[in-house]
Amino acid sequence: MANEVCLRNNDLERPWLLEQYQSRGGYEQLKRILAGEITPAQVIDEVKAANLRGRGGAGFPTGMKWSFISREAPGQKYVVCNSDEGEPGTFKDRDILRYNPHQLIEGMIIAGYAIGATRGYNYIRGEFWEPYMRFQGAIDEAREAGLLGENILGSGFDFDLHVHLGGGAYVCGEETALLESIEGKKGQPRFKPPFPAHFGLYGRPTIINNTESLCSIPVIIEKGGKWFSEIGVANSGGSKLFSISGNINKPGVYEIPMGTPFAELLEMAGGMRDGRKCKAVIPGGSSSPVIPGEQMLDLTMDYDSIQGAGSMLGSGAVIVMDDTNCMVRVLERMSYFYYEESCGQCTPCREGTGWLYRVVSRIENGQGRPEDLELLEDVTRKIAGRTICALGDAAAMPVQGMLKHFRDEFEYHIEHKRCKVGA
Amino acid sequence: MKVITDYIKSLFLLELMKGMSVTGRYLFKKKFTVQYPEERAPMSPRFRGLHAQRRYENGEERCIACKLCEATCPALAITIEAEPREDGSRRTTRYDIDLFKCIFCGYCQESCPVDAIVETRVYEYHFEDRESAVMTKAKLLAVGEKHEAQIAADIQAQARYR
Amino acid sequence: MSEDQTVTIEVDGREIQAKAGQMLIDATDAAGINIPRFCYHKKLSVSANCRMCLVEVAKVPKPLPACATPVAEGMKVQTRSPLAIAAQKGTMEFLLINHPLDCPVCDQGGECELQDVALGYGDDVSRFVEGKRVVMDKEIGPLISTDLTRCIHCTRCVRFGAEIAGVRELGATGRGEHMTIGTYIEKSVDSELSGNMIDVCPVGSLTSKPFRFRARAWELIQRDAIAPHDAVGSNLHLHVRRNEVMRVHPKENDAVNECWISDRDRFSYTALNSAERLDTPLVKTRGEWKESGWHEALTRVASGLKEAGSDLGVLASPGCTVEELHLARKLANGLGSERIETRLRQGDFRTAAGAWLGQSVTDLERCSAALLIGSNVRKEQPIFGHRLRKAALEGCDVSFINPLELEMNYAARQIVTPPAAMAGEVAAVARAAGAAGPLIDQAEVTERHQAIAERLKAAPAATLLLGNLAQAHPDYAVLLTLASALAKATGAVLGQLPAGANSVGAQLVGAVGDGLDAMLAQPAKGYLLMGVEPGYDLWDPAAANAALTQSGFVVALSGFRSESLEAVADVILPVSAFAETSGTFVNAEGTWQSFAGAVSPKGETRPAWKVLRVLGNLLDLQGFDHDSSEEVLAEARQQAEGRQLDNAPADAVTECRLVDAALTRIGDVPIYAVDALVRHAAPLQKTRDAIAAAIYINESEAAKAGLTAGMQAAVTQNGTRVILPVTIDPNIPNGCVRIPAGVAGTEQLGGQFGEVTLEKA
Repeated sequence: MANEVCLRNNDLERPWLLEQYQSRGGYEQLKRILAGEITPAQVIDEVKAANLRGRGGAGFPTGMKWSFISREAPGQKYVVCNSDEGEPGTFKDRDILRYNPHQLIEGMIIAGYAIGATRGYNYIRGEFWEPYMRFQGAIDEAREAGLLGENILGSGFDFDLHVHLGGGAYVCGEETALLESIEGKKGQPRFKPPFPAHFGLYGRPTIINNTESLCSIPVIIEKGGKWFSEIGVANSGGSKLFSISGNINKPGVYEIPMGTPFAELLEMAGGMRDGRKCKAVIPGGSSSPVIPGEQMLDLTMDYDSIQGAGSMLGSGAVIVMDDTNCMVRVLERMSYFYYEESCGQCTPCREGTGWLYRVVSRIENGQGRPEDLELLEDVTRKIAGRTICALGDAAAMPVQGMLKHFRDEFEYHIEHKRCKVGA
Repeated sequence: MKVITDYIKSLFLLELMKGMSVTGRYLFKKKFTVQYPEERAPMSPRFRGLHAQRRYENGEERCIACKLCEATCPALAITIEAEPREDGSRRTTRYDIDLFKCIFCGYCQESCPVDAIVETRVYEYHFEDRESAVMTKAKLLAVGEKHEAQIAADIQAQARYR
Repeated sequence: MSEDQTVTIEVDGREIQAKAGQMLIDATDAAGINIPRFCYHKKLSVSANCRMCLVEVAKVPKPLPACATPVAEGMKVQTRSPLAIAAQKGTMEFLLINHPLDCPVCDQGGECELQDVALGYGDDVSRFVEGKRVVMDKEIGPLISTDLTRCIHCTRCVRFGAEIAGVRELGATGRGEHMTIGTYIEKSVDSELSGNMIDVCPVGSLTSKPFRFRARAWELIQRDAIAPHDAVGSNLHLHVRRNEVMRVHPKENDAVNECWISDRDRFSYTALNSAERLDTPLVKTRGEWKESGWHEALTRVASGLKEAGSDLGVLASPGCTVEELHLARKLANGLGSERIETRLRQGDFRTAAGAWLGQSVTDLERCSAALLIGSNVRKEQPIFGHRLRKAALEGCDVSFINPLELEMNYAARQIVTPPAAMAGEVAAVARAAGAAGPLIDQAEVTERHQAIAERLKAAPAATLLLGNLAQAHPDYAVLLTLASALAKATGAVLGQLPAGANSVGAQLVGAVGDGLDAMLAQPAKGYLLMGVEPGYDLWDPAAANAALTQSGFVVALSGFRSESLEAVADVILPVSAFAETSGTFVNAEGTWQSFAGAVSPKGETRPAWKVLRVLGNLLDLQGFDHDSSEEVLAEARQQAEGRQLDNAPADAVTECRLVDAALTRIGDVPIYAVDALVRHAAPLQKTRDAIAAAIYINESEAAKAGLTAGMQAAVTQNGTRVILPVTIDPNIPNGCVRIPAGVAGTEQLGGQFGEVTLEKA
């Protein structure tokens, strides 16, 4: 049951070419839709039936997001694809852009058709030069073939797509910061409400979806929402790309149905390197709290299961760590990331991320004080839930997770001024 | 009865003897008067005498013209004017303490964030005219320079109570 | 949601009424419930970035920012619940970890919002033991000094620049902790409203440079005043210490200046103690200036004025108070003279009209179409410029007909044409609007005239405004006649933007006469100059100098020493400047605003109204027995009673005097050259807007004359030759050369508009 949706063409030699994509029935769903076989309302209903939850991390139902925008509302509307894959540990969208760009384009055109938008943007992470060039090539091909631009395939429907290469800021993965960045402003999240569905790109109604979500659309239309939903489990429809990395034998991107046991995924990824013990797993990108290895091995990869363990499925970036890893060092590295990537707009995140990093770094370097753990927890409580966007929470959660599950390592560090691992 | 005891008391000069005995006793006790100016009374490090302005070791004046002493002075004895010095730092161009107004309460010293204005142990000074009762910045700095060692020692001694 | 719908919310157990859609913080502010805040400012957009105003709202698990949470019916808010207090204290701790706490050397100390809020929400001991952030300061010009280490990143200054000043001069660069406020590429902040950034900054990050380190907030006594430089009548707070004006802040008045003032009003106080201030009477004996006592000087003046008798001319600055002008007119009348003039920079007196705004100040921001003729309103009356910008951002269609292209901070249509063609352009718009008459019938209508006329006609509230360049135009009467016809045809309100702080008051107290020509063409036996420097304050300095030199006796009431004054006067009486005297200004919309003196007059100077009163006594004139300026005001008001100003011209004038010449001078008065006080304000004179005397000319005209940038060239106007440097300026139309008036180097030149010739020096 692997590689059913987003990576289903990976067995082709050069799946990113239009001709190869079309050889597998590519753009057929778009043609059906444009021929009037499926109405916009039906498209949205199918997506709702698919139980497709946003693949970027928050897991908001895609169909519901689309239904917030009225197709009849006058004026310009936009479809924006969020390929600013900045979450440490995540590298699934990169593979979509590289190996299946046309399916994403088709998905975006269908999304545009569903909400009545005639313009789309794909915001690609600044460091993704090769995927950017690949995707741009696909757009050029599609435009030449009349699949993009004015009057697509003679249907009277206009849709054009632009690629925007980011400048390398993690925060631009936040949807409103991404919109600001496309508008040419400093990438800083906007205060919500209003949500992008009402006040989005250039102040117009906008839907923003993750690359994987949009890329799943053509398959959902082809095989039906019910089919997609049934791949997964209740409340977590479909299959999902997992980027698994860390101390394993075969890191990479795996498309598996939702609800697959983690043990199975670990096996697909070749098991633990050198047969060591799985000490800890970060299940959904660096901003999700860590889960101890033993606990993780009993979980299945879906929203409810991971949430039940006190973490998040997030973007499906699974980072596996064995018992050679010092958790203080791991947290120091992650805190540094959030310290560097905070946009600086609102106070708790701007000041708090720097504080967290400095305290963790101090502990790592043997300068910790007994009261520091209490301080760390207090600072995370003061950041979480008090910022404009979720970056504050993202910076706070790993700290809270680490202190919850690996407090002894931190205490050891403070007391002995050295690492417990290898001691 | 009372008449009789009174009579005896006055006959034998009892009251006088009582008084004289006190005098006699003190004649042989250790003296506690101080022969000023040859001798000095002991002094607290918190003594609040003549004001001084201090400098850092590198010669830079401490005062940053924050004007807290001027604001806190209950006798309105301090007058400060300030402007940016050539190097851009905040300095006073005028710092006057009118000693006729000053009540030596020590609030200026309390309020000073940089220990610039202090009250020294100096209490022997005089003025020959009204004008010289105004301690100007130059005069204050001169007092400070002269007594820096003592001032520093006193502040050090009091540091943990502040 | 309709605007006036009210909802009831409960804050801290108290029921309050709020407008639907209003932000929570506005509702609590109105109800007097304090919520701490830093980034929120009532006149700026909401950014919700400081997180200080977090409050607890029932049924919401997270604390919400009061500045960005709209009220809703039945909403229950706790501003002091444990959750809210914890959130506010948490934010405070974060703000303080990287704040230097250098309050003793910070100019904001004592009036700092961070200090105030820290007192209520801060802890006494910091848990932050790491090194604090340090940010390099930036040089952003002579008015604002920066201490960016203190910045709490509220972005009020950034939003002020983008939203109010209309120029994005400051921005936030860098991410996270490395975010700093700055100009990115080093440059100065040049907006004419830039000083307001000092006010909006909640901490000591942006402070006033002229005021730097000079006083603390708690030493200053706040007194009210009215701004003396333009007809806005901005309300001011003068901050006084030991009889010296230390700084100027705006006084909030939503009907006039809201909470903003121009830099001109804010920093001109620096001239009060400049070295050029005159503080003793000066008498010229045998060509030598000598300081003298008041008695001697006044006796001399009285005898001089008596000699002049009915042949006395009074030239008074439109920045003189109602009281001064009333007494000056009374003095002249007492001596039998009717010659008094305050419209010193008007270029044409062929018709009479009462120049005023024609509407209220707040109407300006509500208008839906505006045509400005001969006006650089942004620099001439910055606060009116701001009001118009507000209107423009709300969709008002603004057009300009000007002799030079302006730097705009909002979208506006600009018709740039040589001065001689301006009347034709106005006539064309009038014709497009359906008006008829001489000049109008011959006008050539193009699409843009059509567009302007259509918008003016269609707009529910349209206005036509004549600015200072129109008033200085030699065909002002024609422009006014045409504008009046256009206003009639379109139904627009006709208004004028008067030059001085008391231009309107001067008209109301009768301090206007038959014009400058009548005053100067035939030299009078005696002149009384009030607040006038002949080389800078008059439309034609050359003509004025000639007349004053030939006159038998010239007495000047002045606050400053000035070469141009000393060259022509016989006695100079030192009078109190702005802030030292009581008085009244009538602003452009006709509001009488009185003020008291904030500090006592400097040195031997005396308030001008007192000087005039004593002169009246010395001349044995009736009715000079006032004991206070209020008595003078009462008398002046009585006289002004019933006088209505009407912008419509008394006579229609359609004959143009300014003919097309090879080169026409545009002599605008730069923003920091309008009066003696501004000209002596050193910080303002260092700004980019302090335009120096030069020949501003476009590339092709310069090439025609064989001139290049930086070269010295000779300008000849009315036979006077002056050498000035050449600056290439693409904003000047062909056939024109801009030589500003009122600046050093132009004292000998002729009228503000007129034919000039250029040659290589």
